[in-house]
Amino acid sequence: MINWKLLLGILLLTIILFTAAIGPMITPSFFPGEDPAQVGSYPSLESPSPQHPLGTDTLGRDAVVIIINGIRLSLVIGVVGGIISTLIGVTIGFIAGYVGKRTDTVLRVIIDMVLVIPVLPLLLLMSLYIPKWDVVTMGVLLGIFGWAFVARTTRAQVLSLRERSYVDLARLNSEGTLEIIFEELLPGLLPYIFLGLAGAMVGNMLIEAGLQLIGIGAGLPPTLGSIMGRAYGAGALSLGLYGQILVPAGILVAMFLALNLINMALEERFNPRLRAFAEER
Amino acid sequence: MDSFPLRQKRSSSQNLSALQARLQPYLPTAKYILKRIGIYFLTVLGAVTLAFIFFHLMPGDPLSIVFSQLEKTNLGRVTGGAEVAEAYKRLLGLDQPLPVQYLLFLRNVLIGGFDLGPSFVAFPTSTRDVIFRQLPWTIGYFTSAMLIAWLIGTTIGALLGWLRRIGLTSVAVGIATLLNITPVYIIAIAAIIFFGYHLHWLPTGQPYDPGLTPNWGDIEFIKNVLRHAIMPIASVVLVWGASFSLGMRSLMISVLGEDYLSYAKAKGLTPFMILRDYAFRNALLPQVTALGIALGNTINGVLILEAIFVVPGVGGLFVRAMAIHDFNVMQGVVLLSTVAVLTLSLIVDLLLPFLDPRIRRSND
Repeated sequence: MINWKLLLGILLLTIILFTAAIGPMITPSFFPGEDPAQVGSYPSLESPSPQHPLGTDTLGRDAVVIIINGIRLSLVIGVVGGIISTLIGVTIGFIAGYVGKRTDTVLRVIIDMVLVIPVLPLLLLMSLYIPKWDVVTMGVLLGIFGWAFVARTTRAQVLSLRERSYVDLARLNSEGTLEIIFEELLPGLLPYIFLGLAGAMVGNMLIEAGLQLIGIGAGLPPTLGSIMGRAYGAGALSLGLYGQILVPAGILVAMFLALNLINMALEERFNPRLRAFAEER
Repeated sequence: MDSFPLRQKRSSSQNLSALQARLQPYLPTAKYILKRIGIYFLTVLGAVTLAFIFFHLMPGDPLSIVFSQLEKTNLGRVTGGAEVAEAYKRLLGLDQPLPVQYLLFLRNVLIGGFDLGPSFVAFPTSTRDVIFRQLPWTIGYFTSAMLIAWLIGTTIGALLGWLRRIGLTSVAVGIATLLNITPVYIIAIAAIIFFGYHLHWLPTGQPYDPGLTPNWGDIEFIKNVLRHAIMPIASVVLVWGASFSLGMRSLMISVLGEDYLSYAKAKGLTPFMILRDYAFRNALLPQVTALGIALGNTINGVLILEAIFVVPGVGGLFVRAMAIHDFNVMQGVVLLSTVAVLTLSLIVDLLLPFLDPRIRRSND
């Protein structure tokens, strides 16, 4: 049976990624002789017209073009942040779960503490010290704050994987610790790591958009979030330039939705109780 | 005569063992509660320490930043920023070595009743007063919204889980999934665009009409405040309600697979009784924990929402404090929300053994 959730999720994701990859090559052909992504090409904050379906932004660029270019910039933030938080989170979670005992207790308290400390205010605080924003800095900053959740899930997974009989068998076979970690445990963890990475990526992009709305990270190149933030700050709502906020938001939500659909489909496939329930229908 | 004290001793030890036997069932609970309270104080101490480290080890001290900015913005008209900063540092005890500052900080926060010194946003007023003045707005708007969302979400989720075989519920689940993954601020902006700018039904921001003077005895004023609160509260309820209902639904589905439900059915209980006493009660516990966590994390959402809806709560205060590097107020908001999360999860954890006999009996 074809799982429509999986299909829809992959379709959505493909469309967005395809737009991000191909879009910037195609858009210039709609604007012969001009550079729609160049600051000051047009008057700023123009109302939507056939030439500029979403109007122009505060710096006089075509909104549609910068939104299409912005997907890629946003993805960079997401990927950088996602990789950093996954690396930190998986390492700490793995050590906690695998070493156990005292180390686990200490690390678990630290993870729990980081989880309860409200991240956003601290992130805002850190942002005060950043003299000049670029996408990588933003990604690193978001990544540093996002690892605790990854660490918690990784720890739980390692705790259960460690007790499996094939791991015991490997131990009896006098495999080294590194061998056990990389050959027995990590393969079992990979699906969770990838799902966590994908979730963290989109999560970071959404947080970035939220930060931009309250004016943090101004001066970034036009990511989806910064397009929303700049339009919002310039009063796009009262000017009727709704599209400049809703379209980037919609793209971010669609990306998140796609990942969630894929995640749900995979879970239905691999979680026996949910699978029984799905087949029952 | 000799035997008397012996006998008495025996009987007292008998008494003791009888008492022990009587207390035995409560021992794990007592142990659990003590352990949990101990962890609570440790984590509060840890969080306060972390906040201190975070705010004091940052490069560049806030006072110098503030005064040098003042010099820059008022070029030529304000001078001597460095000297003034030094004077203020002495006044606030910031010239002491860090360990001394840390002990002073601990004393002021833990014993001095959340004393964080003066705020910069409203200078002579203390940080505590500034924060507590704004807190009612945040609680009134967002904590209440969260509670409404939990009540509605849990009810809907329980029904969706119970009626999982009816095809129509998958439509509701789809809508809830979509709402759940949408950030609250996007729903809020969409609502402002549609109901505020497009239909002109509801005000787009501010806690009440700008011309009004706050008078909580006036019914017209209260009506005005409520009208302004509809959109912020509704956007929180939509998103969090969806998230709570999805959580409750999957809890219900996993509970419905348990053997004791088949047993209850075999006993001939009515479906309503099974729903109320067996499925709902068992699914409710993790849901209570989820509420505690969600309530504590309100501050994360509030920061952006209060800025969007121009609500005078702690989130907006934080953003304002940030703009002028008011570290005392920022520290206060972070501490307050951290302690709120920890306290809420303590309350939830202490309630759990009374709701769930399984936790009461286990020794962990």
